[in-house]
Amino acid sequence: MTLESIPVARKRAYPPRMSAFTQPFWEGLAKSQWKSTCCEACGKFTFPPKPICPHCWSDNMQWKGLSKRGTLYSWTRVHSAPKVFTDEAPYAFCVVDLDIGLRIATRLIEHKGVAFKPGIPMEVVVLNFEDGPLFASRPA
Amino acid sequence: MTRRVAIVGTSAIPVGRHQTRSDEPLQVLEQEIMTRLVIDAVHDAGVEKKDIQSLVFTVPRPYTLQKYFHTFLICHLRLACTGTVMEVMGNGMTAALAFDQARNEILLGRAEVALALGINMEAATSAQDHAMSSMRTTGDVDFQASGGFIPISWYAMDAMRYMHDYGATREQIGAVAVKNRFHASFNPLAQYRKPITIEEVMAQRPIVEPLGLYDVPGRSDGAACLVQASEEVANTVGRPYAILRGRGFCHDGSHQINEVPNDMTELIAAKQAGATAYNEAGISAGQIDVAELYAPCTIVEVLVSEALGFFPRGQGALAAQDGQTRLGGRIPLSTSGGLTSRGHPAYVTSLYNMVEMADQLRGRAGERQVANARMGLTTGELGNYNAALIHVLEAAR
Repeated sequence: MTLESIPVARKRAYPPRMSAFTQPFWEGLAKSQWKSTCCEACGKFTFPPKPICPHCWSDNMQWKGLSKRGTLYSWTRVHSAPKVFTDEAPYAFCVVDLDIGLRIATRLIEHKGVAFKPGIPMEVVVLNFEDGPLFASRPA
Repeated sequence: MTRRVAIVGTSAIPVGRHQTRSDEPLQVLEQEIMTRLVIDAVHDAGVEKKDIQSLVFTVPRPYTLQKYFHTFLICHLRLACTGTVMEVMGNGMTAALAFDQARNEILLGRAEVALALGINMEAATSAQDHAMSSMRTTGDVDFQASGGFIPISWYAMDAMRYMHDYGATREQIGAVAVKNRFHASFNPLAQYRKPITIEEVMAQRPIVEPLGLYDVPGRSDGAACLVQASEEVANTVGRPYAILRGRGFCHDGSHQINEVPNDMTELIAAKQAGATAYNEAGISAGQIDVAELYAPCTIVEVLVSEALGFFPRGQGALAAQDGQTRLGGRIPLSTSGGLTSRGHPAYVTSLYNMVEMADQLRGRAGERQVANARMGLTTGELGNYNAALIHVLEAAR
């Protein structure tokens, strides 16, 4: 699934670590690809991507595209931020239930004219910072 | 007959700001506080130094310079032991686990008397600096903290969803803060004791929307010591004590959010652990006279009060506004003032909750005393109540 890419003219405040295993996720995200691991044994997706299926413990995991559509489960706006995020505060984040049946937590991006309210349709987007990507959600 | 364990003695310093900045000429040293607390608690219990065979410490914050504080403190008291001496850690559940492990030492027959104790020093460390550490304690460091999540933000999302699902208002949730401050006004151990109104709660600056300053915990230092003993020892001493009647633990298998969408505000771990504890004690929720809850934010107390069966789903906030959780109400909650007013020195918070519960069940809570308090309940938790550890205690006087 291809995500809309939003350029951000700065570096990430707290960059995620990348492992040999999660490299396809982060490098794919930089190219607007939205994917995670799906278990070949039990058919369940998991997020964040994992080398072992948390449900059936199989290690037969495959990368597959994820749905970028979902609904807003809840959200908040943080005014009291950790040191590296203080110049971004206040900022919002949210819990989104993807259509595929996965719950994720991400930064929440304003969408002009749409108020945040549980239940509204959402889409995942990629924020392309100068040093790499982060995923986020915004009202669809 | 099954072995049983009692809380027979307690001690604590007032919750507040005790940590010194590193550039201050005179420093507050943790061992000077803790040795005095051990002496006070053991004196309160009426047991002897030689009776103590196990000590379970809460891990200190990283700001405490002296590492392996547990074995260090042992030498200050020359407490030779044959049970176990150790530190435990479990995020917000740390102190509840210390209490639980000390009890295990007695249940296993390794000790007749065991201490659960610890010190949490952090308040001189700026909130922004401390948040750089605490943001790594909840959620996923790479996939969530990279977006700026902080521990109380998860509770804030509970509040937002709860208001959406049940039509609860901010005023109803904020009533918990007013009630807690009222209780704290009677507690000499409490950090914030000046009564507040709901108007003042609503007027505070937002911290994590929809929660404002008075809905969330402040920054706190604290230290406490609990003396636990076998029922035989407790009876020999002959003073009032609080006996452990039931214990329940549940980890729901998730961390912060359940990747399989669920009802996030149901707090399934608290519900399950509570059911286990009630069952072991042979009681139901209606028989609890007083509860001291691990609830860092106002909304959390509301949700836990429902998960434990004190109120039906969606009625907890309304019940708080209605005064049912206040001293004199149907089920007084957090008579100490709770985490928002008594204070929240996180790694020892549940020790303070046990100090309050022991005071209530030993009938020495003064103006906070719940009349005829016989059966009490305490909770500990981690994450967004992804795990809960619940104890039911009964007064023996």
